[in-house]
Amino acid sequence: MSTNKRKLLNSYHVVFLAQSSMFGTGILTLPQRLSSLGYSEAFFPLLLGIIASLTLWPMIWIMSKYPNENLFRINELLLGKWIGKSMNMLFIFQFTLFLAAIISNYMQLIQTTALPEQSTTIPVLLLILLLIYIVNGGIKSVARFCMMAFFLTIPLLYFLRWAIEKGDVSHIFPLFNYNLKEMVEAIRKGYLSILGYELILFYYPYILNQKKAFKHALLGVWISIILCLITTFVSVMYYSEWQLKNVEFTVLQLFKAGELTFIERIDIIGMTMWVFLVLSTMAAYLWSAKKGLDSIRSKKNKLHIYIIAAVVFLIIILPYSHEIREKLFEVSYYAGYLLIVWPIFLSIVHLLRKKKVQQ
Amino acid sequence: MKNRKLVRTTIGRPSQKREQNKMKDQPEQPIEIIKKHTSQINDVIYKKVLTDDGLVTVIYSNSLVEKMTLQIMVLMPLANHLNQIHQVSEIMDLSKLEEIYFKLISGYTLLYFHQTNLLVGLDTYSAPSRTITNTETESTVIGPQDSFTESLETNISLVKRRIRNPMLKNENRIIGSETNTNISILYIDDIVNKENLETVRSRIDKINYPAFNDISILKQLMEDNPYSPFPQFYLTVRPDSISHYLIDGRIAILMDSSQSAIICPTSFLEMFVSIEDYYNRWTTASLLRFLRFFGFFLTIMITPMYVSTLTFHPEILPYELLLNLQESRAKVPFPPLFEVLFIELIIEVLREAGSRMPAKVGQTIGIVGGIVIGTAAVEAGLISNILIVLVATSALLSFLPPIFLMSNTSRFVRYIFILSAGMFGLMGQMLAFAWLIAHLLRLNSLGTPFMSPIIPRKAGDLKDGIFRFPITFLRNKTGISRSQKK
Amino acid sequence: MKVKFIPIVFTFCLTMLAGCTAKELKIPLEDIGMVGVMAFDYLDEEQSQITVAIPQYDPQAKEHTQIFSVSSDLISKGIVEIETLSDKKIVLNQLRVVLVNEQFALHGDVQNAIKQLYRNAEVGNKVLIAVVKESAGDMLKGEYPDKPSVIFYLNDLLQPSINTAFNPNTNIHDFMYTQTNPVFDSIVPFLETKDGKIEIDGIALFKGEVMHKRLSTNEGLIIQALQGRKKLAPLNIELKKEKLLIDLIDSKVKIKSNKNLEEPKLNIELKMSGTLIEFRGERENNLKSVDEIAELEKDVNEKVKQDISKFLEELKKIEVDPIGLTENFRMHYKGNWDKALTNETISKLEWDIQVDTSILSTGILR
Repeated sequence: MSTNKRKLLNSYHVVFLAQSSMFGTGILTLPQRLSSLGYSEAFFPLLLGIIASLTLWPMIWIMSKYPNENLFRINELLLGKWIGKSMNMLFIFQFTLFLAAIISNYMQLIQTTALPEQSTTIPVLLLILLLIYIVNGGIKSVARFCMMAFFLTIPLLYFLRWAIEKGDVSHIFPLFNYNLKEMVEAIRKGYLSILGYELILFYYPYILNQKKAFKHALLGVWISIILCLITTFVSVMYYSEWQLKNVEFTVLQLFKAGELTFIERIDIIGMTMWVFLVLSTMAAYLWSAKKGLDSIRSKKNKLHIYIIAAVVFLIIILPYSHEIREKLFEVSYYAGYLLIVWPIFLSIVHLLRKKKVQQ
Repeated sequence: MKNRKLVRTTIGRPSQKREQNKMKDQPEQPIEIIKKHTSQINDVIYKKVLTDDGLVTVIYSNSLVEKMTLQIMVLMPLANHLNQIHQVSEIMDLSKLEEIYFKLISGYTLLYFHQTNLLVGLDTYSAPSRTITNTETESTVIGPQDSFTESLETNISLVKRRIRNPMLKNENRIIGSETNTNISILYIDDIVNKENLETVRSRIDKINYPAFNDISILKQLMEDNPYSPFPQFYLTVRPDSISHYLIDGRIAILMDSSQSAIICPTSFLEMFVSIEDYYNRWTTASLLRFLRFFGFFLTIMITPMYVSTLTFHPEILPYELLLNLQESRAKVPFPPLFEVLFIELIIEVLREAGSRMPAKVGQTIGIVGGIVIGTAAVEAGLISNILIVLVATSALLSFLPPIFLMSNTSRFVRYIFILSAGMFGLMGQMLAFAWLIAHLLRLNSLGTPFMSPIIPRKAGDLKDGIFRFPITFLRNKTGISRSQKK
Repeated sequence: MKVKFIPIVFTFCLTMLAGCTAKELKIPLEDIGMVGVMAFDYLDEEQSQITVAIPQYDPQAKEHTQIFSVSSDLISKGIVEIETLSDKKIVLNQLRVVLVNEQFALHGDVQNAIKQLYRNAEVGNKVLIAVVKESAGDMLKGEYPDKPSVIFYLNDLLQPSINTAFNPNTNIHDFMYTQTNPVFDSIVPFLETKDGKIEIDGIALFKGEVMHKRLSTNEGLIIQALQGRKKLAPLNIELKKEKLLIDLIDSKVKIKSNKNLEEPKLNIELKMSGTLIEFRGERENNLKSVDEIAELEKDVNEKVKQDISKFLEELKKIEVDPIGLTENFRMHYKGNWDKALTNETISKLEWDIQVDTSILSTGILR
């Protein structure tokens, strides 16, 4: 059956993997992260999207040179075994921290909305178990889950209706009302929300139609960007600038604006539904981290998933100060930026090496 | 058995003494070897008949062959038209004793011609069978009313009557180390996917299980994930349903002494498809399918929702409703989780008790359970009246899937949801829902993703998914079967 | 094979863990007291009196609503204190109405009090705010024999609905939004008890964080019309010798600014259409032809225009902007817009108003 073959991912799998791995908890806080721009943030995701598309291109380019290897192998091939492996270690470490950051962010949100006055240890454990279950099915299972998550949660857009009705479109004017410093700040903080598309560096070897992979991944990226755009746009319409800056989880409050006759608090349903998006993002990361551990230990082992999951769990529940944890997560975010530019560096190394060989 | 020695020269059970005599004066006759070998079968009857071709011994198993059949098929031709026997019978190899033995226990009548030293066999198996009746488990208003019986031949003939196509093949196999049950794999040769067929064959060959009393045992042994609560193959007693899927390129498996038949591969959505959908107008059919499909999700969501809103998120409900709930729960001694588990279990008990009882008593049980317990429990303040409404609705909804196994599954899955709702409210429910989705996504039916066409094999399948498009759109084969023809 | 056990293990875990939660068992619904109305009364700069109304569901209880009252400086501290008075756990999940007395609105920190509620994720967005004349606590304690409960009474009264004649409802988000948005000043409905009935009597206009003034119902209507609300309450117009009431079906407003902050000028176009439901005066029997109605429309236009002008003049004097008129200037201003700019713009504002009323019908009587 298809599971025995190496090439597993159809075009729509690629689209939704790229889309879902970007669209996790980041979007919940995106309007707040971009708030240094004030009302002009409405169209800012477009800029982020352009940056993402530009950085996606070198990724695909370097991958197309090694159609059967993932980034971990390419690192070793291009940089030598030791530098490559230590680089890989770094990436795995980043993924693990990133996973922990996503879960702890989300759980914090759940604790404030859905489960007040309760410890979240067991929900975290269940979440991680579920995550392991999804990832154990391989990349195809992850891709399928991403797809389902997208279609199950897209109806949530409807709940923005009330916020749009109440909002004021004139807020988006004047356009581009910010200076360079504010913009840099916004990119620095906000780009984080759209991280995730770089995971194509790891599942690229499994793609069936690698020639069109760029197109498909780009489509996925732009679906996410458009969703981000809708979110920031509606937030700008609905909030005052002060609220944009100070309301944590802006999207949550957007959901609060609405009500159905039989359900008064859509925000709780929305936030708990969000677990699908969180799971799909995390599944892609966990799968990549597992591949990394596979390549470092040079053998495939199901145990690797459990190891990483256990580490993530420990990072979340170990009782150390909130500050250190935040710092740690911050570090992982910046390491995430490193991964975005890494393929450019690798491409240069690749070209230099090629020249050497030709000489 | 011994008092049957009425016919001319019958030997019921040869006495020990005679056998010894024979052993002495002549070399061992083939008939004696057979006798020895089949001595374990208690009801074998040996009849010696004198015919034009000399002495013939008729051997058959008394319980498997009916008197009338024997008379018409064997004894009358023996006396009058010996040629007829030679034409219809098959010649057996005397040295293959195992085969002879096996033929005997499958209802063959063996004729041993002493003069020519020839052993021939005639299939005189006359199984006790009932007539074809209406189906009770999958009855429909529109469409053919016949259903399978417990006889394999009848069932195959019911299918073949619907598909008059030389390419419709049935492969017979015998499974079960103790029961030696006949099964038949049905498929249409130029439509079916060969890879699927090979998988089915190899899975059946690998099975090592002693007894098959119903085809559902075979089904559980063949499924891709036997640990899952979800049935992964379609089970039906309707020949029209079988023929519908055969033409789509699926494989059907029928078993002797079992009323239902397996269809594989299948998908999650098809568990909510009744063959009647294709007989109804497309509008009605779509509506019904939509109901069944969402009924499944509602039935696993309604009561957990009650638990989670009452324990964790009272703010979700409108104020007035909440006050009503508060009032109706004022006297209830249990927390919502136990309240729901209590009443759900009562419903299960009612259902179970009702289904085991004779139909007339069953009705009483329904009345006693539904009305007396329900009203009394509310009046006594054991449960809130709103919960009764919810539980009753979800119990009704759970009967919507046309496949009974699916409705059982929904009952089971509901408990997972109730427990997780009791622990973490909506968060727990969503976690359970995510588990359900992840689980369904990982399931396969004969290698085909169980969630197709939602995870599409082919976009065209969506036309026959939650909504049924008008029949003219449905000419193509579905992607699930990966058929050779389009 | 190992993988396939996971669903079973998962289910097993869930079942087992169900036992764990029994320890931290949640308080079941019937033991929760859901605060429906919260009232703040001004005591002094530090302290305020918090009164809450909690519905009583038990049919045997005489009173349908429990009222608790404490004085405290912090809201949550007040809640804890109320909990000691009550037999139930007090939650703010279903809070519907927040009342503030006039004194508190004039001198206290309304913004802070509301911010605390806005911060609380338990509290929904449906919380309506109103200012009460005299004591808010007394309003809750008052007797309303024809109403089942003061909570629903207040909630229904303040609830936005097409049927209620005039309703400038303001919920917790709107209030925070207008408080924190520099181009807006908040407005909140003003409640008053009259002969054992609660009545919406005009609106309270805030300037910055404190209440500044009480506006009449008609002025409130103008604010709503200029804010661009489509459905308005019936318009009551008094011409020189005539009185008429128009049931407005649709209203549309178009505001254009000259984008000049030095000499700010607005061009306001208000289009209203409605049916004439009552008319008393000279022309009562003459409204038969189109021309006559057009004549009447003209008079109405003139009158409305005067009203608006008068109202804007007043706003200009006190430098507040409840309508958000300055938004039209902010849209074209690069840089940070702040409250001072709003006030400055409003104080210099000039305007040009066109009102276009069309009377669609005069009823079925000729």
